[in-house]
Amino acid sequence: MSASFEQRSQAVIDGVEAIDPEFVLHLPSSTLKLVLGHFLDGPGARPDRRIFPIPREEEGISILSGLGLAGRRAVMIFQDNGIGNMLTALLTFPQPYHLPLFGIITRRGGLGEYNSMIHTISERSEALLTAADVRWFQLDARTPIEDWSATIQRGYAYAHTTHRPVFVLVNLMGG
Amino acid sequence: MLSRPEALELIDAAFAAQPLVLTLGGTIREMLAVVGRKPNHLYSLDAMGQPLAIGLGLALGMEGRARGERVVVVEGDGSLLMGFSALSTVGHLRPRNLVAVVLDNGVYLATGGQPTAAASVNLVGVARACGWADARVVASEVEAVREALQWASATDGPILLRVPVGTEQPTTDFFLEDPVVLAREFGDWLQNTGAGDTKRPAAR
Repeated sequence: MSASFEQRSQAVIDGVEAIDPEFVLHLPSSTLKLVLGHFLDGPGARPDRRIFPIPREEEGISILSGLGLAGRRAVMIFQDNGIGNMLTALLTFPQPYHLPLFGIITRRGGLGEYNSMIHTISERSEALLTAADVRWFQLDARTPIEDWSATIQRGYAYAHTTHRPVFVLVNLMGG
Repeated sequence: MLSRPEALELIDAAFAAQPLVLTLGGTIREMLAVVGRKPNHLYSLDAMGQPLAIGLGLALGMEGRARGERVVVVEGDGSLLMGFSALSTVGHLRPRNLVAVVLDNGVYLATGGQPTAAASVNLVGVARACGWADARVVASEVEAVREALQWASATDGPILLRVPVGTEQPTTDFFLEDPVVLAREFGDWLQNTGAGDTKRPAAR
């Protein structure tokens, strides 16, 4: 039996907390309700951590780049229908400048989807990132829930080891 | 009316040893022509629309550092309009160490001088409405710009200065440095040397 929405969300929370980010940037997503709630209103809302909304994904990429240059730990959490927005920013600054940055991307589309349109872009998430030569890892029903947190932590470390943006795609919807 | 290189020279003089994010190729080449290559200058070669948000990230990352640096973003009106949402995020987060200088020539100079929409946009009013600490239109004269930069360096931000500049485009060499080297030089300066020393780091 695959893990529940709550278990998957908690695994993502655990993974991000293991990174111990000083900055958490976020965009809206209904599937991120529990994850964002942890950082906005729950135990993750610490006085020594800045958590703030950003209006567009490309703006978040640029802010992450500046934070990275300043040597700070930061994570951006957003939904896969914003991948297109961020690509130009990603490929004109942090990717060619070899800046490590890290993001959690929630998957939409696929089995369990309740929106009649969003699959049009969301089902192409992996293809878009691959075509852009952006490194990504996948967490979904094929990955034991016990491995999710560690994979997120290792994804962050891998961005710094390889001096480039890295993203972990997480399916919280059951797929 | 000041030319863009004249304005750039004044900005460098006012923030000679502060982290400075420079927008796009034309502005970068002109800054290189007037003051040379400096490790405290982050050359954003073609990241149109991003410099203000990059500067915001730097400013957030450097808040609380004892040296009291300002992070200075040198933007054009066209690039600022492309990344306009960052004005609201800056106003929301209000980093006290951020100064944005918008060199407004009213055109996309690098691509042939097509007009931007800046002429009909009250950039200062937008910044203030977004919650910036203050914003000013600065007369395009040496003393006025010098005074405004001095004020911005001593005032809690975020501060936005809109400086009209001419559309002359002096001939400059292409700048073809590997962006990896640019990021490394700036990052090394920021982490290891910091404000007060803009000597080039030793070659690796």
